[in-house]
This record gives sequence, structure tokens and C-alpha cells, in this order.
Amino acid sequence: MKNKLKYFYSYIPLIIFFILVLFFARQLILKEDPSELPSVLIDEKFPSIALSELPGYKVFSNKNLINANGPSLVNIWSSWCVPCKIEHEYLMSMSNNIIIYGINYKDNKEDALKVLELNGNPFYAIGADRDGMQSINLGVYGVPETFIIDREGNIRYRHVGPILEYDMEKIILPIINKIKQERL
Amino acid sequence: MIIELGHFLLALALSLSIFQFLVPVLGVKFNSDSMMKSTSIIAFMSFILVLFSFLSLVYAYITSDFSVSLVTKNSHSLKPLLYKISGVWGNHEGSLLLWVLILTFYSAAVAILGRRLPLKLLSLVLSCQGLIAAAFISFILFTSNPFVRVFFPNAEGEGFNPILQDFGLAIHPPFLYLGYVGLSVTFSFSIAALLVGKVDTIWVKWVRPWTLIAWVFLTIGIALGSWWAYRELGWGGWWFWDPVENASFMPWLAATALLHSSIVAEKRDTLKAWTILLAIIAFSFCLLGTFIVRSGVLVSVHAFASDPSRGLYILLLLVFFTGGGLALFAKRAPYLKSGSLFKPLSREGALVINNIIFTSAAATVLLGTLYPIFIDAINNSKVSVGPPYFEAVFIPLMVPAILLCAFSPMLSWKRAIIDNIIERIIAVFICALFLASLIIIIHGGSASAFLGLFLAFWLICGTLYEFFIKVGIKSSFKTFIQRALNLPRSAYGMSVAHIGVAIFIIGVTVSSAWRIDIEKPIILGEKIIVKDIELTFKDIKKVEGPNWNADRGEFEIITSNGAKYFLYPERRFYPASQVNTSEPAIMSGIFSDLYIVLGESLKEEDSYAFRIYYSPFISWIWFGILLMAMGGILSLSDRKHRLGYGLKQV
Amino acid sequence: MITIIKFIFCFFIIGNSVLADANTKVAYELYEELRCLVCQNQSLLESNAPLALDLKKVVMDKIELGQSKGEIKKFLVDRYGEFILLKPKYSMQNILLWLGPILFLFIGFFVTFVFLRKQSMYKAEQLPLTKEEENSLKKILDNNVS
Repeated sequence: MKNKLKYFYSYIPLIIFFILVLFFARQLILKEDPSELPSVLIDEKFPSIALSELPGYKVFSNKNLINANGPSLVNIWSSWCVPCKIEHEYLMSMSNNIIIYGINYKDNKEDALKVLELNGNPFYAIGADRDGMQSINLGVYGVPETFIIDREGNIRYRHVGPILEYDMEKIILPIINKIKQERL
Repeated sequence: MIIELGHFLLALALSLSIFQFLVPVLGVKFNSDSMMKSTSIIAFMSFILVLFSFLSLVYAYITSDFSVSLVTKNSHSLKPLLYKISGVWGNHEGSLLLWVLILTFYSAAVAILGRRLPLKLLSLVLSCQGLIAAAFISFILFTSNPFVRVFFPNAEGEGFNPILQDFGLAIHPPFLYLGYVGLSVTFSFSIAALLVGKVDTIWVKWVRPWTLIAWVFLTIGIALGSWWAYRELGWGGWWFWDPVENASFMPWLAATALLHSSIVAEKRDTLKAWTILLAIIAFSFCLLGTFIVRSGVLVSVHAFASDPSRGLYILLLLVFFTGGGLALFAKRAPYLKSGSLFKPLSREGALVINNIIFTSAAATVLLGTLYPIFIDAINNSKVSVGPPYFEAVFIPLMVPAILLCAFSPMLSWKRAIIDNIIERIIAVFICALFLASLIIIIHGGSASAFLGLFLAFWLICGTLYEFFIKVGIKSSFKTFIQRALNLPRSAYGMSVAHIGVAIFIIGVTVSSAWRIDIEKPIILGEKIIVKDIELTFKDIKKVEGPNWNADRGEFEIITSNGAKYFLYPERRFYPASQVNTSEPAIMSGIFSDLYIVLGESLKEEDSYAFRIYYSPFISWIWFGILLMAMGGILSLSDRKHRLGYGLKQV
Repeated sequence: MITIIKFIFCFFIIGNSVLADANTKVAYELYEELRCLVCQNQSLLESNAPLALDLKKVVMDKIELGQSKGEIKKFLVDRYGEFILLKPKYSMQNILLWLGPILFLFIGFFVTFVFLRKQSMYKAEQLPLTKEEENSLKKILDNNVS
């Protein structure tokens, strides 16, 4: 019996190795981008933020999210952000069916207004976060980002990066529909 | 045409490598001497084929043949020649080809230098090397082909990462790969030993020099990478515990353990199973490193364009070679004859403790690096492990190793007498305590600075003391010189390497404890005083380089002894890739570095943002590592380690 | 490529004046423990990415308000998750991480000890005398003879 134990010890490195391989395989299969962070605010109330006005547009504030009629999107964007320009057309197409609020991040008024004039306005209301401090409360770490908010004002999902066709159809819209079907 | 030829040669090399694997295996099975003997020729031819294949790629880069996809993506007609060449391996595909080139080179070297090894052993070693080569060449040909053509070549080339155009970074991969692949040789030796079923003195005498070679290259390669990061990246740091850096550090730790373990195996014919296991683990760390860098599984800025499908292939390689090696070990190791005994207090005992510490250190680095993956799988949460963790955990782990390092050369083999040792330890302790305290009293410092200095002096005093004992302080001067000259080079190698470690510790301790870090806007004409150095921001103008234009600042530096120097930090813009980089200006000295980084111009007139670092003794970090490598080279040059020594008697 | 551009972007220097004082010291210590989320391989101290500068400002403001390191870290973790901490929390979740190294040492010593013990149990080998012991033995024998 003692002899057999000796022979077992030599298998330990192999066993440890296989456990490691399982972890690696999982990571590879998941194909996640390791630099993408999930939001820690999921299923929590949208934090209170104080945004300033963009002249000519309704201002966005927490009040918009209380007792809403349905789910909404909150999109963080800037005029100097290149991917934002790319996702703009998809925001425009979604704005017919969903309410989209905008947070203009670390931008100046003129540039922001120009973008909306030239490319159209998908936002029901916009707030400006001049110094970026308000967005920190949302855990924003880049632009663009989009939050999906449900009726009660809870954050259900945070999308990092631009919303392109694939994201719109396979990620955003399904979640929106799911929320719509809750407590109908 | 040349590229297609290169592609063809590589495919040929694949077939040859498969033969290199099969022929000796069949030769051993059917006891055919001629089959086993032919393996060496196959290995050598394989190397020639890969060499020319590699050269064809180099040719494509030098001539800026943009019809080759790789060249278009990674090179540019305006690149200086040196960086065109280093661009060959500055990408995933090319670097793999370099890897394979070095692998076949080592195989050929083993084949030629190992002519007098027992035939069965040599054939199995080459067979294993052939299998590794076949695996990697097929990886290249099937997923990462450098010879692919592009149909609409870009006239200028797209590839231009200015950060990669630096001498240190250009030669860092070859050195690193020479180290990694060197560990494949010890791996193959271990597999061969397990297959043959015995580990004799010949085997050990062979493994040690190859381990040394790999270790020396790995040491230099890591030092180059660190030195480059310091000079290029603009914040005065030299090690970030980034997954890719850790990927090179883990094999180094394992290789160091392997080195020390093989000393015991050679001298005392014991710890053989452990040495074999370490050799397998060390090479596995290399494969693991390749996986981490190229699979995109961990966040790292150094990583090549990561690709999970490539990652899967490398994972398969890892499973096959590491899993196979460990499985073979599991089955065969218990049957290896165990060697002679030793008491815990002995040279062997100390080296065993060294091994435990270094292996634990490697395991710790692995744990920290992979921990985010573990937690993500178990808890689905994102945790990050950064420098604060590694520093908190690694340094305490190394302290006992360093303490041991100073006096374990004083311990005799098999069984050491405690009384003499205690005397010597006390002497060294007092000496180190005195010197460290002296410096802290004069310059003022924290507890950790004191500890670092104490460890360094402990190591220096201990090593020198041991050296003088060996050579005989008490005898006459003539005897002293005679004995010093007669001392084997490997003894010098050890002392030099250990002192290198001490110098390294001094560099790390002093540069972090007494560093001065200034971040402020400076106006043209303004003078700043750092320590006893006067810096005056004299001028700023626009300059142009071969593929960049820049703002260049001029600083006049006046040191305490009145010497005048000029430093020119730059902020460069590369139009080809629309990128801004900072070229820090560094005034390196033996005793301190002055490091100036030019930032943006600010709203006030003629005012620019600057970051100035004064790092005392930071060069000692790289001096120390270089000394370690030199110690290794000294040991290598010892006649006893000459490959083939001792075989004549066989 | 994007990663590389981001990486280069982090060298933008938009520095501020820094003088050594107590608050700055604490701030620097905290910066070193927080990860820049844009240039994810740098700490806040090293990074000059816009978000890093914003977060540094937040940290500095809170230090001046008198908040403790723990409170500031909690503030950031509540918004960004534990990923922002370069030094993993001392929590049950991370227990293996922090105890791992010592565990490795213990396991290493234990295994070695067991194996060497086993070896000596199976082998009854006599360790020959070392040189010093031989010399002292010789002395004793010489003494006996004379």
C-alpha cells in the first residue's frame, strides 16, 4: 500500500496541469475580450447624476427614468469620438421605437450641437457632463457606452463600444424586448 | 519567387522533422544502429532548410517586397535597415519562424556536439526535438504562414509602430528565444532519459551546459526587454509584472532552479527525478508563455495580435508536450534509481531549499498571472492582480533564498559541520549590518531600503568571504595567486553570478528608495535643481528625422563637479501612422540616471509639461543582471563543462 | 492595432505641478494601487490617459476632504468593480491568492521532507566521515597511541 502511494505522487504535476488546461480552454471558448469590463451596476438603480443643459434640447436627468413607460437607452457620446459617429445611424434607427437619452461626455457645446445638427438627433433628452465627473458615477471608462434601463430605472446592461448592426440585432433589441415583456 | 522558395523549403523541413522524429524511434525499436545514426544528418539538414526559409523572409523585408502580406502589414519603405530586419520577427508569424530556426539550430548543435553520446540517448533527444519542430512548423504552415502573398500591394507598407523601432527591442526577441528554445533541449534530454529508463552521469554532464546556455540567453533577453521598457516607455519604470513579462520570468525562475538542481545531480548523483521534472516544467513555462502572449486570454499590451483560434492550437501543443512529458514522468520517474543520501545541513540540503523557493516563486508568479482567469471561471467576476500583489508576495519569498545564497557555498557536500558555519555567518552578518546601517545613517532611508541594502551586502560579503576561504587568505600571497588561478572557472562563475545578484539588489533598492520624481510645467529659460544638479530649459525647436518630425527640447545640465551636458527630450510625430511618441532623454551614469520626458505645450507661452526622474543607481539593475549572465558564461567556459568532457573515458 | 494606439496615447502628458507634501504622498500611494482602465497595463500613477487624470483628480479631492484610503477605494470599486484595484482585496474570494505563496513553500518543504525521509528509510547507507571528522578521529587515535 505504501509503495503504491509513492507511485501516485508522481502523477500530481500532471493532474495540476490538466486543471490549468481546463481553465485555459474555458477562456478560449468564451472568446471574451479580457479588457472589456462588465458593469458592476447591473440590476441597480441608475445613479443620480447632475447634467447641464445643451441649448435647444430637453435636458436629461434621473426624473426621466422614474416610472417610465418602458425600457430606455442611455448613450454616452462625444463629438470627438470616432466610433460614436459610426454608431449614430443605428441610434437613429432605434430612436423610432425606443427612447434614447444622451449624455454628452467631456465636450464643448458648439461641437456637440454641430454633430446633432449635421447627423440628426436620436435623443429624447440630452445632458452634458462637461468634466466627465458625473459619468464616473456610472462607471464609464470610455466612449461610446450605452446603458439599457428598465421601467423602474434599474440598469440592466452596459454595452461597451459602438452599437453596430450585429450589436443592435443580437444584443440590444433582444434585451429591450425581454424588458418589455416583463409585467405586461 | 524567393518567397515561394522559402515556403517550399519550410514545407520540406516539416517532412524532414517528421522523419527526425520517426526514424530514431523506429531505430530504437528495431535496434538499428544505422537508423539511429542517420538522425543527426536529418537534424542538420532540417536546420539548413529552415535557415534558408528564414533568409528568404529576411530578403523580402530588406527589399521591402510589399507583395508579401506580412511585409506590407509590418514594414515600411522608410524604415531604417536595422528595423526592417528586426521587423522580420516583430510580428507573430515571423517570430514563430525565428523560433523554429533557433530550434533546428539547437538540434543540429546537439547532433554535432553529441557525436560521442550513447547512440540511443542521442537519437531519442533528436527525436523529441524533431517532434517539437514538426509541431511548430505545422503550426506556422497551417495557421500563421509568413509567406502569404497579397494581391494589391501597398506601395509604402502599413506597418510602423514607432515604439518598436528601438535597438533594445530589436534584439530582445532573438535572445529570449535562444533562451526558451535552449530549454527545449533539456526537455528533450529529460524525455529521452525517461524513455531509456535511466539517468546516469553522462546525462547529467550533458544537461548542465545546455541549461546554462539557455539560462544565460534568457537572462540577457529579459534584461534587454526591461532596459528597453525603461528607456522607451517614459515613466522610469523597468518592470510591470505584466502577463507577458511574467511569461518570460517564470521560465527563468524554473531554469534557475533547474540549474542549481543539476549541480546536485552532477556532483552527487541525486535529485535526478527532480531535475527531470524541473526540465519538463521549465520548457512547459516557455510553451505557456507562448500561449499567453499569442492567445489573447489575458490583458497585456505587449501581446502580438491575439487570436483565440491560434490560442487553441498552442493550447493543443501545450497539452501534447507538457501533458505528454508529465505523463511520461508520472509513469517512469518512480523507477529511476535514487541516488546517494545527504543530511539536511549540507550543500545538497541548501540547494534543495533553493529549489523549493525558486519553484514556489515560479508557482506564485503563475498564480498571480492566471488568477483573473481562475476567478472569472469560478465566480464570474473580474479581478485584477497587479504590481502591488507581486511585490508584496515575491520579495518576501526571495529573501530566504538570498540569505541562503551567501553561505551555502561554504557548506560541504553530504554533511556540513555546523560550528565553522556559524562563525562565518556571524561575521558576514555583522559586516552586512554595519555597511547597511552606515548608508542608512548617512543618507536616511526606510526599513525596506535597509533590508534591501542588508541583503545585498550580506550576499557580497558572504560570497567574497567564501572565495577568500577557498583560495586561502591565511597563506602567502604567492600561494594565494596560485590557488586563485587554479580555481575552476565554474567556481568563479558562481561567485560572479551571485555578486551580480547583489548588484542587482542594490540597483533596485537604491533606485526606488531614493528616487526623485518631478512633474511640472517648465517655462523656457527656467532653471530647476534636482539633488545637486542644475537643469536649465534652454531651447525648443522643431526637428525632422527619417520618418518623423518632432519638438526637441534642449536642457543644459550642470552637475555638482561643474561638468556640463545637454539633453534633448523629444516629442515625435510619425506621419505614416499618425502617432505621437515621447522620446525621453536619459543621462545615464554609473551612479544615477537623469530622465527627462517632454510633454505637451501648455497654454502659457513657452511653457511645456515635463516629467523629470532622478533615479540613483538604476543602471546597477542591468549591470547586476549582466554580471549574472557573465557568471554563467564563465561557468560554461569551464573545461569540465565542455561538451564531451568525460566521454572520452567512456 | 487599436491597443497599440491606445498604448501610445497614454503618453500624452498634461501634467500638473507636484510638490512633496503629505496629501500628495498618500495620493501617489493610492495611484499606484489603482489600475488605469484605458491603458490597462499601467497604474494611475504612470498613466496620462484622460480618464486616468480624471480619476486622479477624484482621488486627490477626496484625500483633501479627509477620506481614508479604504473609503476612496470603496468609492471606486462601487463604480468600476474590483478590477480597478491593482492590489487584490483581502477577501475570502482572494484567499487562495494571498495564501498561495506560503502554501507553495509549505507543500514544497513537506513533500521534500517526506521523500527524503522515505529514501533514508529504504536505504541503510553509512555516511562516510567528512574531512574534519577524519582529522579529529586521527587526533583521537594518535592521542590514544601515544
